[in-house]
Amino acid sequence: MSISPIAQNTRNQSWWVEHLNEIGLLIALFVLVAVFSQTAPNFLSDRNLINILRSAAYVGIVAFPMTFVIIAGEIDISVGPAVAFAGVAFAQLVSAFAIPIPLALLLVCAFGALLGGVSGWLKVRYAVPTFISTLALWSALRGGALWWSDALPVIVPSREFRAVLGGDFLGLPTVVWLMLATFVLFSYLAILSRYGRHIYALGANAAAVAALGINSARLRISIMASTGIFAALVGVLIDARLGSGNANAATGLEFDVIAAVIVGGTLLTGGHGRMTGTLLGVLVIAVLANGLVLNGVDPDVQQVVRGGVILLAVLVNAALAKRAHGATGK
Amino acid sequence: MSRQSENSTLLEMRDIAVSFGAVRALDGVSFSLKAGEVLGLMGDNGAGKSTMVKTIAGNLTPTSGSIHLSGQPTIFNGPSDARAAGIEVVYQDLALCNNLSAAENVFLGREIMHRIAGIPVAVNGREMRDRAARLFEELQSDTRANQMVNSMSGGQRQAVAIARTRLNKSRIVLLDEPTAAISVRQVEQVLKLIKRLQEQGVAVVLISHRMPDVFSVADRIVVLRRGTKVADVMTAKTSPEEVTGLITGAVERVGV
Ligand SMILES: Nc1ncnc2c1ncn2[C@@H]1O[C@H](COP(=O)(O)OP(=O)(O)OP(=O)(O)O)[C@@H](O)[C@H]1O
Ligand SMILES: [Mg+2]
Repeated sequence: MSISPIAQNTRNQSWWVEHLNEIGLLIALFVLVAVFSQTAPNFLSDRNLINILRSAAYVGIVAFPMTFVIIAGEIDISVGPAVAFAGVAFAQLVSAFAIPIPLALLLVCAFGALLGGVSGWLKVRYAVPTFISTLALWSALRGGALWWSDALPVIVPSREFRAVLGGDFLGLPTVVWLMLATFVLFSYLAILSRYGRHIYALGANAAAVAALGINSARLRISIMASTGIFAALVGVLIDARLGSGNANAATGLEFDVIAAVIVGGTLLTGGHGRMTGTLLGVLVIAVLANGLVLNGVDPDVQQVVRGGVILLAVLVNAALAKRAHGATGK
Repeated sequence: MSRQSENSTLLEMRDIAVSFGAVRALDGVSFSLKAGEVLGLMGDNGAGKSTMVKTIAGNLTPTSGSIHLSGQPTIFNGPSDARAAGIEVVYQDLALCNNLSAAENVFLGREIMHRIAGIPVAVNGREMRDRAARLFEELQSDTRANQMVNSMSGGQRQAVAIARTRLNKSRIVLLDEPTAAISVRQVEQVLKLIKRLQEQGVAVVLISHRMPDVFSVADRIVVLRRGTKVADVMTAKTSPEEVTGLITGAVERVGV
């Protein structure tokens, strides 16, 4: 079995050329781990490794649907505020409205789907770029979260909730298992489903997809809804960890998510990307952030280093894409 | 050739008119098409060729006139109706996806799935590759099923677009300027493809501005000028010079 629908059919190129990006990320991951394990004594402790995985999980759960969004030629920059808003909304529904936890979870995910779906619909109906509609959401959702919570933590009054969704399962945090489940789900969609095939096609040639009688409006709306759903899920998971909904949660999460997808080799121009690349991108970014903290690097300098790493990855990807897909990367 | 279906009229367009507001793109055009026949549809820019193709393909509803398939009056409410009736179109921009392979493009929107208890669970890449490979073989094209479209020549891309029309064994294939943007050698390939279709009993409507292409494959030539038919002649009974005159208006009418 090959790893992607693209690789599977590129018999004229070697598997190695097609997967240079993932191989490079794997090497980068090993180098980072090797360096940090020397420079920070606690880096390889179980506790720290679990911390890395947990922070990777919050990013990863949104990064896999985001990979599809970017493959389809769209973007969703509202995921950070969407996480915060869902966290506050969930806590309010449970505490102030006494709605049962499963129902509250369903409601915030449905609301996330609705907002994402509206961005998709605005693109389909009025050609509003998703960058613009999600920029509006980015502002509105953070503001909404602050307003609805008075900028104070909203306590979720349930011990079981914290224990189950915020706790561990078989030795790993529950969120890590959920990230793996999301990875498996989106890998299946990307490699084996008809839906995924159409998403790749949409990102490359939307006119062709429409001419062949494929419902491209449904593709676009559903894919934008997916980041909304998974961002809402992460909002609830953060509530479970903290025991409360916080309007300032997940600040800058959109940056980490999009960076992970791009570092993972997905092209912003649409049509190309793989879930395995995103998984590695998520891990590289989480390890890097953690290692910089453990090494006592000044927080401002951390930002500069992360920015530099992303720039480097984009340059490398552009060069690789040129080799793998021809001059334009298309 | 003595295939009996070749005598039967497959498609008949009767007195077709199409207007876009004040513009009369087609003004009462009639012609017929037999199985296994290649019809060259010619005319100057804006003469109404693409409008005719879109009408046959169900993309446009004629303002007046009727369409008869195997003698039956037919109304298409959209491209999928026409496709269900065995009519396929290859548009000039081809509608291919560069990031997918030849086989994936051929089956785009009609993917073959592995099924468990009737429920589609996964795309059947091998089956699609095999069937695409067989289609390319039938068309005698050197296109490989797992080749990526972005590494293909213009002729191979045409083969992918034409292979698509063979999926549900269409009876009529409409080609809108398939040789406009490709090299001389690739033109040869495409003309060969058209002959393959013809041998399989498919009726082909070829739109082209290139005189030699039309004369080498078409059995019959219809010329449109400003939305009306000014010629309907067997290729053997006319010449490139005469057709050029018909297109420009230097020759008034032939065979109508
Ligand atoms: N959607 C439309 N709306 C308005 N007018 C149209 C439309 N489509 C075609 N026309 C007009 O109808 C006439 C015939 O156009 P058509 O595209 O059929 O020409 P053609 O013979 O295919 O020309 P070409 O060789 O340039 O492709 C032209 O005057 C064109 O401007
Ligand atoms: Mg035209």
